[in-house]
Amino acid sequence: MTGKIKTAAEVVATVPNGAHLALGGFAIARNPIAIVHELIRQQKRELILSQGVAGMDTDLLVGAGAVARLIIGGGSLDRFGPVHCVNRARESGSMIAEDWTSLSICFRYLAGALGLSFIPIKSLLASEVLDRLERGAGADAVARMSCPFTAEHYVALKSLTPDISFVHVQIADEDGNCRIEGPRWDNEEQAKAAKRIIIVAEEIVTTDEIRRAPERTVIPAHRVEAVVHQPFGAHPTSVFGCYDYDAAHLKLYVDHSKHPVRIGQYIDGYIRGSKDHWDYLEKVGGKERLSQLKAERNPGY
Amino acid sequence: MTGIRATEIMAAAGARELQDGEIVVVGIGLPQIACFLAMGTHAPRLTPLLEIGVANMRPKDTPVGLADSRIFYRATCWSGFLDVMGMNLHRGIVDTGFLGALEVDRFGNINTTLSRDGGKVRYFNGSAGGNDVASLAKRVIVVMRHELRKLPVAVSHLTSPGFVGGKSREDLSLRGGGPHRIITDKAVMGFDSQTRSARLVSLHPGIELEDVLANTGFPLLLPEKIPATPLPTKEELRLLREEIDPHGAYLGQLI
Repeated sequence: MTGKIKTAAEVVATVPNGAHLALGGFAIARNPIAIVHELIRQQKRELILSQGVAGMDTDLLVGAGAVARLIIGGGSLDRFGPVHCVNRARESGSMIAEDWTSLSICFRYLAGALGLSFIPIKSLLASEVLDRLERGAGADAVARMSCPFTAEHYVALKSLTPDISFVHVQIADEDGNCRIEGPRWDNEEQAKAAKRIIIVAEEIVTTDEIRRAPERTVIPAHRVEAVVHQPFGAHPTSVFGCYDYDAAHLKLYVDHSKHPVRIGQYIDGYIRGSKDHWDYLEKVGGKERLSQLKAERNPGY
Repeated sequence: MTGIRATEIMAAAGARELQDGEIVVVGIGLPQIACFLAMGTHAPRLTPLLEIGVANMRPKDTPVGLADSRIFYRATCWSGFLDVMGMNLHRGIVDTGFLGALEVDRFGNINTTLSRDGGKVRYFNGSAGGNDVASLAKRVIVVMRHELRKLPVAVSHLTSPGFVGGKSREDLSLRGGGPHRIITDKAVMGFDSQTRSARLVSLHPGIELEDVLANTGFPLLLPEKIPATPLPTKEELRLLREEIDPHGAYLGQLI
């Protein structure tokens, strides 16, 4: 027993204001919602968030006014809509936003994970994405360079090393060995670039179980600081093999996220008004609703 | 032509651009539909990839987006950005990138970031993998609605480069070959090999040239004889309506 199993409240209590957090969600899939709610309950401020494609996790934190700076490749809630809170904060200038691309964010994490100070890329060239980064908040993280061997033009990207990466996974053991089922977007590079990794798992299995198929371990225990066991911890986003996204609740969220006042009502009602994630799950329909969302083994949604 | 939807003509036109054996990075919506149509007809050995880390998926239910578990059902490989966008796209082996767009201009530059309504800036989804696909795929096909404000002289924000300023991709230091087709609900456009400016390839049956010109914000180069876009065959329509998108989630409306 290594004592890595913690509650969301315990791990969030170790997050300093102003920390750079990397979130492992993509649009409406595997968002670390239980962590995001707790960050809001504990009133964390001035956060720097980075993510390949921002989803409801980032949108909620921005909507709660907890974010000072955003470093993202894009943002979407798929067909449910755009990330309204993020877009409103850019439009009003209340938050610094660096807009990259999915691959350039992934490369920046990869460089961080490999201990490189920078990495070259062939994306971004000849685009306004690069112009805006060079003229704005990303100026200290991009440079034009030529290959020392071929003279080919590249954009050099500064590595990205978040303070803490939060990844929501299907399965982990108590030590933090974890499996991610379905596509993994930039989860592995992001987590391994971070100084601290905190896992939220739907299910905790024994280490013997992990040893039966070690090739499925994506993030190994020695990199993991803490494991939060939280079934339905990504609700209303989906976790492949465990449960589907909650379409009705996502619609309700998007409807609230369109207005600065209504997003406050959502946060007060569902997040600040719940003492923990179990309490939140009761508010969104409890066992009856959650059992409707539960995935069938095949097809996994 | 009665009863055939514009989206079905677009899907068939998109499918015909894809060759058997190609590696294709597809976006959600009509690009994905067109790709599955090609696979169901002339291109059974095509390999579709999704940026999140999926190869060769065979969905049976309609997904709401790229992060929906429905889209990666029965794939042959699950990986991540680094594999699909790094070791395929960045490696230079993706034949076609198939994308949607908010705006496209005469040089095939794509905007997916923002719109300007009289001075007021409104943000959308940003690049995500769009810039990476447009920069790195051997060729790019865009599907979109044909509207004056969506086809301006210059995009409001150059998210993903085409032939920027009419320059060659080599001069822009880009590896990918650049834009190849813009497929709309009215026409198919390509790009002139000399000026790299958009050029009409075909008009969909029943669409007048005046209608296309009035709804195109940039000067469109015209061929001497303008062919009609081939209509989907009976078999293509059957596949689209009965197998690929039976509930009309993507064919029933234009995004």
